[in-house]
Amino acid sequence: MNPPGPLEKEDEHLSTPILGPSVHSDNPQERIQARRLRIAARLEARRREALGECLDGKKESEEDQSKSYKQKEESRLKLAKLLLCGTELVTNIQVATDIREIQRRVEEEEIKRQRLEKLENEVKTSQDKFDEITAKWEEGKQKKIAQDLWDMLNTQQLHCAGLIEDKNKLISELQQELKTKDDQYVKDLKKQADDICLLLERMEEQVKNVMKTFRQELSHIEKAYEVERQELLSSNKKKWERALQAHNTKELEYLVNRIKKVEEYEKQLSKQRIWDCEEYNTIKIKLEQDVQILEQQLQQMKATYQLNQEKLEYNFQVLKKRDEESTVIKSQQKRKINRLHDILNNLRSRYTKQIKQFQEENQSLTLDYKRLVMQFKELQRAMRHFALIDEEKFREIWLMNEEEAKDLIGRAFDVDRIIHTHHLGLPWTAPDFWFLKNIGPISQQPRKSATEIVEEVLMQTEEEGSEETMSEPESYLDLPKQVSAKTTRKVLMLLCDESGFLIESKLLSLLLPLEKSECYLLRLDAIFSALGIESEDDLYKLVNFFVKYRAHHLPSGQSVEKLPVEAGKKKNLSEGKQEVQSSPRLIHPNDVLKALEAFVMGLNKPRDPRTPLKKRKEVRDDSKDSEYWKALTMVIPPAKQNLWDALYTALEKYHLILTERAKLLLENDSLEQQNTELQMLLQQYLDSKINSELQVPPTQVFRVPTKEGSASKG
Amino acid sequence: MQDNLTPQLMPAFSRPSDTAQDQSTTGKATSTAPQPVNPTVLIPPIKSKGLNASNVRRMRRIIAEDAEWSLAIVPLLSELCIQHIVKNFQNNPVLKQLLPEHQQKVLDHLSPDLPLTVTANLIEDENYWRRCCAQRWVCHVARHGGSWKRMFFERHLENLLKQFIPGTTDPTVILDLLPLCKNYVRRIQVDQFLHPSVSAPPRDGDQSDSGSEGEMEEYSTDHYQLRDLVAGLKHLEELDLVYGVKDCGMNFEWNLFLFTYHDCHSLAATIKACHTLKVFRLTRSRVDDDKARILIRSLLDHPALEELDLSHNLIGDRGVRAAAKLLSHSRLRVLNLANNQVRAPGAQSLAHALAHNTNLVTLNLRLNCIEDEGGQALAHALQTNKCLTTLHLGGNELSEPTATLLSQVLSVNTVLTSINLSCNHIGLDGGKQLLEGMSDNKTLLEFDLRLSDVAQESEYLIGQALQANREAARQRALNPSHFMSPTTNGPENPAG
Repeated sequence: MNPPGPLEKEDEHLSTPILGPSVHSDNPQERIQARRLRIAARLEARRREALGECLDGKKESEEDQSKSYKQKEESRLKLAKLLLCGTELVTNIQVATDIREIQRRVEEEEIKRQRLEKLENEVKTSQDKFDEITAKWEEGKQKKIAQDLWDMLNTQQLHCAGLIEDKNKLISELQQELKTKDDQYVKDLKKQADDICLLLERMEEQVKNVMKTFRQELSHIEKAYEVERQELLSSNKKKWERALQAHNTKELEYLVNRIKKVEEYEKQLSKQRIWDCEEYNTIKIKLEQDVQILEQQLQQMKATYQLNQEKLEYNFQVLKKRDEESTVIKSQQKRKINRLHDILNNLRSRYTKQIKQFQEENQSLTLDYKRLVMQFKELQRAMRHFALIDEEKFREIWLMNEEEAKDLIGRAFDVDRIIHTHHLGLPWTAPDFWFLKNIGPISQQPRKSATEIVEEVLMQTEEEGSEETMSEPESYLDLPKQVSAKTTRKVLMLLCDESGFLIESKLLSLLLPLEKSECYLLRLDAIFSALGIESEDDLYKLVNFFVKYRAHHLPSGQSVEKLPVEAGKKKNLSEGKQEVQSSPRLIHPNDVLKALEAFVMGLNKPRDPRTPLKKRKEVRDDSKDSEYWKALTMVIPPAKQNLWDALYTALEKYHLILTERAKLLLENDSLEQQNTELQMLLQQYLDSKINSELQVPPTQVFRVPTKEGSASKG
Repeated sequence: MQDNLTPQLMPAFSRPSDTAQDQSTTGKATSTAPQPVNPTVLIPPIKSKGLNASNVRRMRRIIAEDAEWSLAIVPLLSELCIQHIVKNFQNNPVLKQLLPEHQQKVLDHLSPDLPLTVTANLIEDENYWRRCCAQRWVCHVARHGGSWKRMFFERHLENLLKQFIPGTTDPTVILDLLPLCKNYVRRIQVDQFLHPSVSAPPRDGDQSDSGSEGEMEEYSTDHYQLRDLVAGLKHLEELDLVYGVKDCGMNFEWNLFLFTYHDCHSLAATIKACHTLKVFRLTRSRVDDDKARILIRSLLDHPALEELDLSHNLIGDRGVRAAAKLLSHSRLRVLNLANNQVRAPGAQSLAHALAHNTNLVTLNLRLNCIEDEGGQALAHALQTNKCLTTLHLGGNELSEPTATLLSQVLSVNTVLTSINLSCNHIGLDGGKQLLEGMSDNKTLLEFDLRLSDVAQESEYLIGQALQANREAARQRALNPSHFMSPTTNGPENPAG
């Protein structure tokens, strides 16, 4: 890029557009022109470059793939081929040297092998020779004769010389070889230099070639583009001209047409004008007529208008008045509404007040109620308490009275007994009345629960087993009399065995270690609780049901036979032994469940255990009390009282007699006493010393005291 | 520069005309345009005067075209200052404090001969470094990542290393450069390491690489140790070394190409320590099995290494086995073992490693001797491998059995794009089988069968198949991209 370069180029560049204004021209105007043109061209070029070189190129390539594209492809292929061939040509040298090297290596190896072989052979032969020579030395030592020794030495020398010569020969051979190798090396160097030169040459040539062909191809392509462009230009120009021509002709045509049309329109216009004038006149006349008519109508309308106005005014007045009235009414209504609103509000407030009041009342009432309930409860408690106390007192009083009564009765009985035994001399038997055994107030015996009954039954039946003869147990006094204890027991056993499913399994496991009877008891308890049997009645119902059930289901003859048997059974238990045999056939175990089901269905009565219990507690049956007390008074029957009356009178009499007698006796006694006293006095007198002094004792005078002694004795 | 023009006559015309010049040249010229004009800018009055003298009328016109033209006979003060800064840049480098436009001017006029200690870390401008490079070498900036500065330092360091003679040259020459170039050097490419025993004369005179190494009597000791240098370069990615001498010609001595054990250990430690290294090349250095194993052991589990090139050495099966181990212990993408002494066992171990490798993309075994046994093993490995795209087996004494297996691979594998089987003994039948394999393949783009005894007909047919595949690949590449791009790129790229 030395300075002359651009100048030259510039010249070249500028020389081409000779036709246009030149910057080198002597005319300054022209120069300016030229420069302007140049600037414009450059700007244009830059713009095009910036805008859409790609676009242009693309368009071109798309439009005329035919020429430029073909040319490009062609040149590309050609260039690629050229490059390939060129590189191959260049690398051929390398390949050739490679193969030469390989050959050389092979040869070298061969030669090396041969040389080694040769050397080995040589070594071997020389060794042989050497051995020979050394062997001969030994021989030589044994030789005594000088002549022989000399000969031998000579031959040895010869041999040695031969050996050395061989070696020398070998050495010279090898040296020769080395020399040839050196030559070879020089040759190789030269060859290499040649090769390199060739390589360089080829490369240069290649470069040149490639450059040349590239330039060529470039020019080809450019040319192709140029041609294409020219073609395009010319075709476009032609097209343009054609279009212009067509445009011109068309323009002319249009002009002619226009002129024609103008004329036509002018004609039409004049025609139209005349016609319009006429029409205008006619219309004018018509319209004037119309105007007159309309004026008349207007007058009429005005008159009607006046009329209407008056009417309307009148209406307006009327309406105004009405309006006023309505406003008055409205105000009234408004006031009324206000008043009503006030009332409503008052009512509302009152209502709320009342609600509040009632709520308060309600609250206080509820409080009262609660208090009352509390009081009531307390009262109840007190009542219960007093009831208990009353009962206690009642009982105490009862007991006291009873005791008193019993005392009295006892005394009466004692008296009776004394009377009977002492006075009448009759044996006395104590009367046996139920009320005598009674202690405390008479009360209904509490109902026994089913289980207690069962227990009783079981115990009893067990006892029965041991005691053959058994008096009727007291507890059975109130049993329904159709069922015997045994039957009951059987039924219960059956039930216990058959309806084990009603018992909880836990309970069963607990029952295992218990006694048999206890076990039964507990089982039955569980079963009853499951069936809902609670009271004694229920239990007997059950037993009865079982019995009847069997009776129903047995053949009729047997049942008839059975029933009287059972009826009889209650009367005499000692007889029951025979019936026991029949009772095991009470009911078949398989039917137990059915019977049980039926029973449970039947038992499903509504139970209300609470109320009766309470009633029982409150009401005490005092009907028997008076009876009881009356009975107590009537312990001594009237017959006996009569007896007693009679006896009394008799005894009165007897007493009288006895008292008289007692009086007599007393007199007697006092007499006797006087007697004795007198006797004693006598004795005293008799026994006194004076008597002794006296010459004649009085004792001799009489014998009285002895006599008295025997009387007192008697 | 445009600021200067504002007071001028007809600025409107002068600007477009200026650009017109640029437009008339190639597209590239726009960027480079300021450079050729620069010298004239320095002394505008002279130019205008000279031209004035020649032709006033022409001058008048040229002035209109010239963006730099100025009526002022005395340059502006800023111009004078800039000139002064440029002149005294070595002693008083003032650059960052200037306005950007002035900076540009200063940079444009700085001499490329300024000492590196001044310029290295101060100047980032690519144009300056470009001038520096252009002054010293024929330049291919593309090889240095497109950065002129990087190129300058890399080439500079390379030259220094090439000229370094252990024992005679002062190592500080290189180490002094280290702080200046450590931010820019990414690659060290040294194709010769001089020998300590090499006598002085060849290199002090020659700037070029062609030192004619003369007499080497003594036995070599070791070469320059890269350790310190490499440790200092924090962006180093590529290491391309040849332990040998270039262009020895008839002065050949085996000693010149001796890569000693000490060198080897030192190099191994160096590359192990360099964690940024991506490419490691050690070619033409007579690396044998043991040295190769030492080097490869140091590369095991290297965090960055992607390419390993040990071509043109003496590596045998043991070294290759180590390389095969490396394949499974690194992220190696390219492995080049061309022109070594690999035989069948080595190829088998490579194949074993390759069978389940997922990193390696390129494998080059040119000019070895793996023979059919190794070739078959590799072919078996390729049936399971899903990564390798390029395989070079040229000159390996392969023959028909390998070709049979490879044809099976061709019909199965969908990754391979390039295979080279040149210089083998594939034979006519083998060629036919390869052709069969090719008929099922849709991905292979290159298949070199030159000089491998294949019938011309099959080679031609294979070429046709490759052509079709290439077309298909091109279509595939085109479809996602813009429609226009290939048509415009196609002819222009090679031309430019």
